[in-house]
Amino acid sequence: MGEAIVITSGKGGVGKTTSSANIGTALAMLGKKVCMMDTDIGLRNLDVVMGLENRIIFDVIDVATGSCRLEQALIKDKRFDHLYLLPAAQTKDKLALSVDAARLIVGRLKSQFDYVIIDCPAGIEHGFRVAITGADQAVVVTTPEQAAVRDADRVIGLLEAERMPSPKLIINRIRPHMVKNGDMLDIDDIVNILSLDLLGVVPDDENVIRAANHGEPTVMTPDSKASLAYRNIARRILGDPVPLMNLDEDAGFFKRMRKLIGLR
Amino acid sequence: MPDSASMPTDGERRQLVAVKGIRNGLLFSIAEDAAFAEVYSELQETLQGHGRKSEAKGAVSAYVDFGDRILSEEEDLAVRALFSGLRTLSLGGLDGAPERRGFRPREPYVYKGTVRSGQIVEHDGDIVIIGDVNPGGQLIASGDVYVMGYLRGSAHAGAGGDDRAIIAATYFDPLQVRIASVLRRSPGASTSPAEMEFAYLDGEQMAVDRMSVLGQYRARLHATRAVL
Ligand SMILES: Nc1ncnc2c1ncn2[C@@H]1O[C@H](COP(=O)(O)OP(=O)(O)OP(=O)(O)O)[C@@H](O)[C@H]1O
Ligand SMILES: [Mg+2]
Repeated sequence: MGEAIVITSGKGGVGKTTSSANIGTALAMLGKKVCMMDTDIGLRNLDVVMGLENRIIFDVIDVATGSCRLEQALIKDKRFDHLYLLPAAQTKDKLALSVDAARLIVGRLKSQFDYVIIDCPAGIEHGFRVAITGADQAVVVTTPEQAAVRDADRVIGLLEAERMPSPKLIINRIRPHMVKNGDMLDIDDIVNILSLDLLGVVPDDENVIRAANHGEPTVMTPDSKASLAYRNIARRILGDPVPLMNLDEDAGFFKRMRKLIGLR
Repeated sequence: MPDSASMPTDGERRQLVAVKGIRNGLLFSIAEDAAFAEVYSELQETLQGHGRKSEAKGAVSAYVDFGDRILSEEEDLAVRALFSGLRTLSLGGLDGAPERRGFRPREPYVYKGTVRSGQIVEHDGDIVIIGDVNPGGQLIASGDVYVMGYLRGSAHAGAGGDDRAIIAATYFDPLQVRIASVLRRSPGASTSPAEMEFAYLDGEQMAVDRMSVLGQYRARLHATRAVL
């Protein structure tokens, strides 16, 4: 039985889809059987970022309504041995995917894959409920901005109310020089407020945007900082204690460690 | 009238309305399991008898206890109408005997964990948070608020009007604090984060001080109350 991980944030545009694509791909590159599931009905993006848009015939709503079998809707990413995408519907209403149907689909995917990576839509309404229903674990993505951290906090509260294990945190789009000048929240501040374990820090990197436009997740090109960050995140998901990378956040990470063992 | 007296209405029938003298008036207890029409006519009878018995014009408060019965709007109005015509009784309320204010022991509510954005902890009494209160998190207490951690969200102490209530936190950096009806925005981060601080009302003004001064503040309150 595999594990389903939902990638969520509350606030829109902070990097849920980017993180889903890169984590899913990186796990597949590490030899895992992975299915990425897009639950952003009406605003699907994951297929575009993965460069698989032109291969969509059926989508998750077709599976939910029984218009096709689950296997028919799964798109195999031919660049990897075991990477699949279950796309969202682009034209249907977002209420067309019920919480119960989503839970069933995630359950079936878990029986076939090691990891099911669920890309959650922005917000905390129906789409959020649908995305988290079948998940065993949650990853909360935030950027170093007050508003994003506030929304992340809200989402963490909602996840805790669902009795999910404590979510893991990804801080995306860090710009080291802005943090150094005090123009951006630093990692320590964010981790202290949200009091979550840090899964990784991803620098702001134009390679991410370039890669997304070419339909190739960043992790496929080994020489960018964001690529390394996401590959490290994937390794941490597999239980490998990879230290944080060279950015200035190392100090923050150690403070966090001290906090964990009660020495703050 | 003795402190507690019930007046049976009819020897044959089961008694649906029991009357009892209480500290601040009369309590009419209504049987929960009888039809409203029956209860209503018995209450009407009881009240007529009562009106004749007592000549003195004055405001004895009447409280009606319907137990778990929930009245419809019409039923509620009908019962009120029964009382409004009476000279000797004035209706105090339809939800039982009044609570004795000031005597109810207020159990503190202890919450362990982070109070996150969008979450509200509300309690009639003191609130103790063992953890942080994040921006967007909210505490509402009729008594005091104590946060054993960061207070970054908002806290309202003395929400029922008690202006002696305080708000204390290990790290006092709230978005908003309110004591009784006095509101303050961001009193500013604590100057000595190593020491716990609390907010209190000094007249109409809110003040923030080190926790070690709380004893003195409480003693002063006692002194002023003794003078009054
Ligand atoms: N680390 C990064 N560096 C540079 N650009 C990034 C980074 N992460 C994300 N972006 C860019 O930010 C934009 C939003 O990212 P993305 O679509 O992943 O966010 P999202 O949270 O899925 O948004 P939505 O809430 O709309 O679903 C995209 O243009 C993406 O390329
Ligand atoms: Mg997205």
